[in-house]
Amino acid sequence: MLTYKGRFDPTRFEDLTVTVDFHCHSACRFCIVQDGMNRFRGVSLERMRQAVEDNVKHRRYRRVCFTGGEVTLEKGLFEYIELARTSGSFEHILVQTNGRLLADDAFTQRLVDAGVDEYFVSLHGHDAATQDHISQRPGSFDEAMRGIANLATRGVCLMTNTVVHSLNVAHLAEIVDTVLPFRPTRMEFWGYLPMGDHADERGLLAPMSEVAPQLRRALARLRGAKTEARVKYVPRCLLGEYADAHDDSQPDVVIAETFYDPYPQFACLYEGTCEHSDTCLGLNHPYIGKLGWEEAALRPTPRTRPFVEPDDGPAIGSDRPGEGMAPSLEHPEWRVLVDGVAERHGARLSSVRLTRRSCVFTFTHGKSSVEFVLKARDEASPALLRTPSFNIQYRSVSGADRDVLTALIRDAVKTIAARDQGDKLLDRRKGLIGEEALRRRARESAR
Amino acid sequence: MTDPRVAFLAIDTQVSIGVQTFDGVPLLESGPDDRYFDYCLEPYRPRRPWRGKLRGENILWQALSCGGALDGMREPLLALQASLGRDMTVWGTKWDGSRLFWEMYVYDPLKEEPAATIASLTRTLQPWLRVAPRVAETVPYVMVSFDLDAAVLARGSLDELNLYLTGEQGHAGRVYKVRDGDAELDNTYRFLSPKRDIAEVLPLLKASLFVDYGDSAMLSKVLIPELFACRRVCVAKKRRCDAVYFSGVSVGQLLYFLRRFTYPAPIVDFVARHQERFEHLLFDVGLDYRQAEDGSIVYPKTSFYGTL
Repeated sequence: MLTYKGRFDPTRFEDLTVTVDFHCHSACRFCIVQDGMNRFRGVSLERMRQAVEDNVKHRRYRRVCFTGGEVTLEKGLFEYIELARTSGSFEHILVQTNGRLLADDAFTQRLVDAGVDEYFVSLHGHDAATQDHISQRPGSFDEAMRGIANLATRGVCLMTNTVVHSLNVAHLAEIVDTVLPFRPTRMEFWGYLPMGDHADERGLLAPMSEVAPQLRRALARLRGAKTEARVKYVPRCLLGEYADAHDDSQPDVVIAETFYDPYPQFACLYEGTCEHSDTCLGLNHPYIGKLGWEEAALRPTPRTRPFVEPDDGPAIGSDRPGEGMAPSLEHPEWRVLVDGVAERHGARLSSVRLTRRSCVFTFTHGKSSVEFVLKARDEASPALLRTPSFNIQYRSVSGADRDVLTALIRDAVKTIAARDQGDKLLDRRKGLIGEEALRRRARESAR
Repeated sequence: MTDPRVAFLAIDTQVSIGVQTFDGVPLLESGPDDRYFDYCLEPYRPRRPWRGKLRGENILWQALSCGGALDGMREPLLALQASLGRDMTVWGTKWDGSRLFWEMYVYDPLKEEPAATIASLTRTLQPWLRVAPRVAETVPYVMVSFDLDAAVLARGSLDELNLYLTGEQGHAGRVYKVRDGDAELDNTYRFLSPKRDIAEVLPLLKASLFVDYGDSAMLSKVLIPELFACRRVCVAKKRRCDAVYFSGVSVGQLLYFLRRFTYPAPIVDFVARHQERFEHLLFDVGLDYRQAEDGSIVYPKTSFYGTL
């Protein structure tokens, strides 16, 4: 049975990624959206407007991230930025880019003036020969570096992203050396994820026996600098003393629903025995299939808590580059749905976790607890009760106080049913579904 | 006991009310009386509401149709189903890369179901098959199974039964192949949680006469990552190969498995076409494996399971 690691679900619910469109003027050999380029449409301005209006009302997201393809190519980008900025509902507006157009000083200034305060720039080589070979576009390294230099003079948050694969694994520390003079707020390294080539036909998977030491070398260079490090899709235990840099969380997204279908899934032999298995995805399936489970190299940290198969990934709070993790947002308008219930049973509402697709209330009574889950109303899914907005379920009952929890569950169901006015939005889908997600040609061939 | 002809008529009746069919066989829809068991007949909660969904046995019928065995096997299997009750017979569809064949499993670990004895089985199958092995009912078997294909039916005789005996700590046991006047140990097996018991799973897998795990990627050819997220694994040691079974996989994982081991297209297409209507079920899959002389892993036989 698939666990949350078998799906590519978001786990960071205060960042919202919006794919403006799928075009790019580079042709990176490792590109994970390559197959989507000619197939999927981006998120329409109208859909973006709905997301913004929801955020104005509910303040779920602190950050909106615009991505593509290469988002700086999109003529409509500034309309999306304007919509986000004028809503006043986002603390940060981030653009994910290959940085090439940022070589144009005036264009960079225009982005800054429009309100983009965070830049996530891809850099995959330490020199022109490496980067241009990877991007298959001569001059792309020089353009990206000029873009980085332009950002560095403007006091904005500069972050870089390097996808680690067989073509650049030997140069990770040199990439750090190349970028550090521009004082980035953060450098991220993401393990390569095969998308359309699950048998690694492109030969880009590098063995962890190479990746891990090279990453540790790069992370060592960052230690002491005022630049954060983040590593994704490489098992935490392989980072050794730099394990704190590990972060497999993913922002929430508005994107073509089927885009993530070919995304690789993850597994770890030590999921049931490692303390960090709820936040560390482990290895992706294509990697395991080709290079093995790495059962001898992985170093699981013995669990201090019993292993319970999680239904969802961990809900990660806010991400503040350079400032560590901020406390998660409060959700008073959701909390009010169960106000008073815990107290009536001598229990405590210990957390409210709002994701795109669920709101989870955790009630505790002494050492006993239960999770109460609201999902979007759906006649085809199991539910304890359906209210105008929700399917209501409970799960993860633990402890001995079953009588108290049973009474509490009954009370919570009645209370939510009475208070739900049908105006709470929980999307079951990630974003665009059906034909609206497809380009004309893909739509025609789908028919 | 329900007359098997009545059960068959009940199914056929659905054709006349417009139920979709394949090869003249009606698609059987899930109903409120369906029960949900894995291949050890241990119950599970369906993953979705059953309304609008299909019974897992549809895949068996499709596989039988694909293997050209439907006509001969339909009646004995329906008789078995009628004798034991719906969802109380486990079916396994097996594939060696060129040939489909089947195995039926009947459980009665507590010796409380008269219809699940070998004597009763013998009576139920009597119109089509003579059950040759004689087994005293005092033998503490928890399950009996038998292979079934067109050749067995043509012969009109079941010459072998597989008896499963346990009595070991944990969920483990031995399988004896029993013929008339003869018996031999066929394999041993053990069920474990893939995630919680990994410290036991790995040494058990690697204690192998048939596979050299010196190659770091070898384990992933056996403990297949796409199937690792399951409810239980079963590690079996057979006479000429090892085997591993993944219990409680989703229809998506079943589809991966069918494609990975190149099952005949009609079966794969059938499951793919109706994938959403099998979403409520869990399935079980298994693979026999050993290392070939060139070092690669070969799979002499794979199988998937459901209830009838």
